[in-house]
Amino acid sequence: MAMPLLQVIDQRTYFETGRGLLRAVDGVDFELHQGRTLGVVGESGCGKTVLARSIMGLLPSNTRVGEGSRIIFDGRDLGALDEKSLRALRGSEIAMIFQDPMTSLNPVLTVGKQIGETLIRHHGLSRHAARGRAVELLRDVGIPQPEVRVDQYPHQLSGGMRQRVAIAIALSCQPRLLIADEPTTALDVTVQADILDLLRRQQIERDMSMILITHDMGVVAGRSDEVAVMYAGRIVEWAETPELFRNTRMPYTAALLNSIPRVDDPPHRRIDAIAGRPPDLIHPPKGCLFAPRCGHVEQRCRRHSPPLQLASDGTHAQACWFPQSVGTTP
Amino acid sequence: MRYILRRLRRLCIVMFAVTLLTFLLVNVLPGDIAYDIAGQDASEEDVQAIREDLGLNRPVLVRYISWLSGVFVGDWGASFRTGEPVLEAITSRFPVSLELMLFAQLLALLLAVPLGVVSAYRAGSRLDRGIAAAGFAAVSMPAFMVAILLILLFSMYLSVLPATGYEPISEGLWANLRGMILPALSIALAEWTILMRTLRAEMIGVLQEDYIALARAKGMADWHILVVHALRPSSFTLITLMGLQVGNLIGGSIIIESIFGIPGVGRLLINAIYARDFIVIQGCVTFIAIAYVLANFLVDMAYALLDPRIRVSAQHG
Repeated sequence: MAMPLLQVIDQRTYFETGRGLLRAVDGVDFELHQGRTLGVVGESGCGKTVLARSIMGLLPSNTRVGEGSRIIFDGRDLGALDEKSLRALRGSEIAMIFQDPMTSLNPVLTVGKQIGETLIRHHGLSRHAARGRAVELLRDVGIPQPEVRVDQYPHQLSGGMRQRVAIAIALSCQPRLLIADEPTTALDVTVQADILDLLRRQQIERDMSMILITHDMGVVAGRSDEVAVMYAGRIVEWAETPELFRNTRMPYTAALLNSIPRVDDPPHRRIDAIAGRPPDLIHPPKGCLFAPRCGHVEQRCRRHSPPLQLASDGTHAQACWFPQSVGTTP
Repeated sequence: MRYILRRLRRLCIVMFAVTLLTFLLVNVLPGDIAYDIAGQDASEEDVQAIREDLGLNRPVLVRYISWLSGVFVGDWGASFRTGEPVLEAITSRFPVSLELMLFAQLLALLLAVPLGVVSAYRAGSRLDRGIAAAGFAAVSMPAFMVAILLILLFSMYLSVLPATGYEPISEGLWANLRGMILPALSIALAEWTILMRTLRAEMIGVLQEDYIALARAKGMADWHILVVHALRPSSFTLITLMGLQVGNLIGGSIIIESIFGIPGVGRLLINAIYARDFIVIQGCVTFIAIAYVLANFLVDMAYALLDPRIRVSAQHG
């Protein structure tokens, strides 16, 4: 197989806090090939967003990155690049979509300016040409009357429209990798599917690679090629998407799947929320970090932390001492 | 439109309160201009005659109402001493004061904006702490003291700028500005710190916003992010503050005009106070109050320029 577009090797992103070192991302490895979509799933605070920002190189000043951590994009070690080369990469080859379009667009700049400035910066377009291109991009992402919208301000657009604008910004320079961080979490349910389908369509059309970050298993189903489930800063299960849903092994993944209410559920059924809370990432407990919340916990789980193990056929990996065999019911 | 009418109504209430209050206060000031005009050797009858002549023997409220009715038709009265019409005296001196205040505000902004942006960008750094220390040192010195120090430095030791004297703009722009630099700087040095600290605080907040993270994710250069993306959303409090500071600016310029011998409204007012020239005092205070309210009105208009959200809702409303 060809070289992967993105390789993340033993990524450790820690934050210095008043209480000690917070291990937000604690040893994540994965590869992503050209034209594929990786879904990253996990509950709030599991390190999804920090992982995304680590790839973008957009981390606050109290960050400590692990010594052996490498992020290799298209053969280039991003950690070894200077800020200037990183800036040239951001927005042009790696683009990002943020969670909340209400806050991720600048309130005092027109939509056209916000799309166009990326083109001016990376492709050297003139103001006039950038505006024309912005209109085309707005049309591509399904915004009606793009010639009018291009001169409007974000507050004049609905939430779904704004997220389309954010997508247009991300697509403007034809990036090779698109990171979408919970792109639909802040939107109405009715708009969510539209936005996700738009992303998937654009990804296939442009042959981009995409990292789709979400807490919702339903989002990645059918819209990703492979899924990595994160818990407490680590990947605890990885598989091709159909395989993961067919053959869930990690109790945490199973619990995530069970926590989705289904249309065919009897009325008033209690949702199977995952009991307990995620562990303290500053003083993590010994052993498997999910052990305190796991329904299948055994002695060994509390003593030793399970490594992420790739199954012999290479299509499924899990970090669990007692992986569940078949099906989604633990 | 309704908004402007509401503002005008407020202006009227403020004006009424301010003028009545000054009228009463000036009235209880000790001293009587009639004695000054009459001279030392005048008899009590002469003084009484002058009083009657000027209308000073009437009750305060009657005098106030007659003055107020004059104001509405543009008759602000005439100086008791020189006979110069008050409105003319003010409008002929006002451009000088306005130039001084605008120049001072411009200098204050030239200091506050770049230093505020740098402080926010490098918050907590040595540079930030250094700027803060310089700022607090400047703000804790009263403007008249700064003025004296500046005169010492630039006029006495370096001899590069004049200590006093005002050249009208007809003598050439540079000749005019030369005389204004030290007075304006004296006022600006007392004003810039508050503007700088406000901008810094607000900008630190703005730099945490998602849209700044997005701008960085777009690969924008830091200076571009600071100037294009962060400065405008960070300026709202700064603008409010500039409106409120017009009061300080006027107060500062009254003192500074006297120190540097600049023939503005401030000096007119000070001289009128020394001479108990009530009608001139009254005119100056009224004029300053109108200027203050108008300046704040302009500040509100400036919001709309900075923030498109206000602009659009104003169109609908």
